[in-house]
Amino acid sequence: MSELKEQLKSQIIEQLNLEDLTPADIKNDSPLFGDEGLGLDSIDALEFIVLLDSFYGIKIEDPAAAREIFHSVDSMADFIESKK
Amino acid sequence: MYYIHKIASITHQDSFNQTDVNDSLVEITEDAVLISPDYKKYILPASLRRLSPILRMAVAAAKECQEAITIPFEAISVGTALGCLTDTEKFLNVINTVEGEILSPTAFIQSTHNTISGLISLELKNHSYNMTHTQNNLSLEMALIDSMLCCDEGKDFVLLGVADEAIDFLNKLKPIVLPENSIVTSGTTFFALSKKKSKSEIGFKACRSIIKAKDIEVDIDLFLRELKIEINEIDRIYTNQNSLDYPKEMVVNYEAYSGLYFTANAFGVHLAHDWLIKEAKKYALIVNSGCNNSLGLILLKNDKA
Amino acid sequence: MDIFITGYGVISAIGKNVEENFSSLIQEKTAIKQGLKSFTSKFKVGEIGLSNDALKVEFDLKTDGSRTALLGMVAAKEAFKNHSHFEALRTGLISGTSVGGMDISEVEYRNEMAGEKPNYKKYFHHPSGTTSEQIALELGITGFVNTISTACSSAANAIMMGARLIQSGQLDRVVVGGTDCLTQFTIYGFRSLMIFDDEWCKPFDNSRKGLNLGEGAGFLVLESKKSLEITGKEVLAKLSGWSNASDAYHQTASSPDGDGAILSMKQALKQARLEPHEINYVNAHGTATPNNDLSESKAFINVFNGKVPPFSSTKSYTGHTLAASGGIESVFAILSIQNSMLFPNLNHTTPIEETGLIPIKNIQKNSEVTHVLSNSFGFGGNNSTLIFSKI
Repeated sequence: MSELKEQLKSQIIEQLNLEDLTPADIKNDSPLFGDEGLGLDSIDALEFIVLLDSFYGIKIEDPAAAREIFHSVDSMADFIESKK
Repeated sequence: MYYIHKIASITHQDSFNQTDVNDSLVEITEDAVLISPDYKKYILPASLRRLSPILRMAVAAAKECQEAITIPFEAISVGTALGCLTDTEKFLNVINTVEGEILSPTAFIQSTHNTISGLISLELKNHSYNMTHTQNNLSLEMALIDSMLCCDEGKDFVLLGVADEAIDFLNKLKPIVLPENSIVTSGTTFFALSKKKSKSEIGFKACRSIIKAKDIEVDIDLFLRELKIEINEIDRIYTNQNSLDYPKEMVVNYEAYSGLYFTANAFGVHLAHDWLIKEAKKYALIVNSGCNNSLGLILLKNDKA
Repeated sequence: MDIFITGYGVISAIGKNVEENFSSLIQEKTAIKQGLKSFTSKFKVGEIGLSNDALKVEFDLKTDGSRTALLGMVAAKEAFKNHSHFEALRTGLISGTSVGGMDISEVEYRNEMAGEKPNYKKYFHHPSGTTSEQIALELGITGFVNTISTACSSAANAIMMGARLIQSGQLDRVVVGGTDCLTQFTIYGFRSLMIFDDEWCKPFDNSRKGLNLGEGAGFLVLESKKSLEITGKEVLAKLSGWSNASDAYHQTASSPDGDGAILSMKQALKQARLEPHEINYVNAHGTATPNNDLSESKAFINVFNGKVPPFSSTKSYTGHTLAASGGIESVFAILSIQNSMLFPNLNHTTPIEETGLIPIKNIQKNSEVTHVLSNSFGFGGNNSTLIFSKI
């Protein structure tokens, strides 16, 4: 699971062009969206959907329903595990 | 008169925030690169990470203009000939290579021409009039005509700007669509404009766009005659044409310094503006001639001279 | 100064001229259906069932161009028919487009990627500005030519720009509007944003899922009083108000309360010297995306102080024709005034929970229509409003 989370962080940095960040800068449980987190927005949420599809083969049809999944690295990893 | 309160250019010359852009000019070569400022000074990392070169340079130049006048612009008018080519090509690659239905949206979002002006309004938190003109090599003229209208309608300060970016693909279009020996480059120039006098007292006196010019010299004469100005009152002509029938010492080819992009005449305006200040001269004419016989004429005037 | 409208032309999925469009509107007949092209076949779209060659033949087009340019020529020619060229009149053309010649470029680009021998000449058609030059050439307009590209508000902004140039005395007469054809680029683009409805779009419905794309063009002829004295044309309606404001909220999304939309509508009303209650019909932007329709509804409630006039989104007939939509919907606004009719918003069953607003659901005949407000909102927070008035 922790391996998956580290891998996810690298993929997030790559997919969203977060050039200035390293995986160590992203905490497992801190929110990815909004000002208190990484400050990601709705375009990034769509990029997460692309990420889940291209790296994990998981398809999400409704972007609105995906908000909870993309709350943090923890919640994303849980979701990916649940789909395995 | 529509006075220039600030000009900011990012080009293949060392032009950003120079007192006189003419000081450090070098003739453009194939290996010239865009000379960019540190964009982190202008754009937050959260926004910067997505932005293509055209968006970065336009936002930085626009912000320099905003900083110079401090009060918010009451209109934003942007011209671009070919728009956001990097993202357009990126998305063309996405749709032709990615299988399945889930596609990365960022390049598409940033591929429309008005991404530039929209992003500027967002970065400046500006809710005013916002327009994007795209008329091939007359895009500056169109955005300028709109800016002048905005001033005439009572808007205090107007942000006028142009931006175009080169992608490698454009080189493939030589010599069929683009001139064979041209050096394709990127560039942006933004102006803070107002009917209020600026410190330099230099401004746009008039602008004319002609879709099908018959004879450049004749059209210049007509343009000047309407303004009741004689050709011998013009101190310098900045142009992208080599064959104009005027004394050599009064003609400067701006494209030799900017390279080829279809809004590079704005850099010609910048060169002319700084030269008028330094030499305390009165009139400079920017003659922008397109391959499809279109012609743009812009007259700059120095009230102090 | 009054801006007179003396010509209109439209081509969309619901008809290839004004008359056919009007007839479909009255019959409450949508033309949105499963696409016919390789890149539209998976989606419901408002496609025009004529190939480029068929367009050239049927409308006797002499100028070559992208599909965007050809559609523009059809609508602009209809608007400009029976108009003559006068030495004394400065006549211009301002067209809005978001895709320009992308329909040609995307095919060339794909072919080259697939290893075919490229034909770079085809890229001559690519620039949006070229699209307008080709339309102007077809109409014989050689004066002022300009192109506006502000995504989905392009045509509305082109109309506004034309009105301002007449008002300032720089032009006497101007053909204004917009055109966009369906391209793989835009279809896949909006797909990537996940804002398509796989079924028929349901503007202002609580269960709306997203938009259907469409293609088409809509153009008007605007004239000054001086121009009218020379052309002697019959006036169809007046353009009495316009405004453009920025949402400055997000690259794609509208602000939750519709700040830019409120500004745009309020400024247009002010310019037309009208009170909100004087508006008889609102042709909404109404794309049927969850975000736009909620934001626009909230803006209506704000601008009209809770008493929202009859409104509808005719995108349920034509699909969202992007840069052309403001032009096409301006023609519909004028038809509403001319015929005293309000056009319905198809596919509506349940009002949006947060606002409770119910659009016009059936054709309303014998309605007094003096002033129509038309909204066009673009990507990047570019909000525009036009107001049309009875002469």
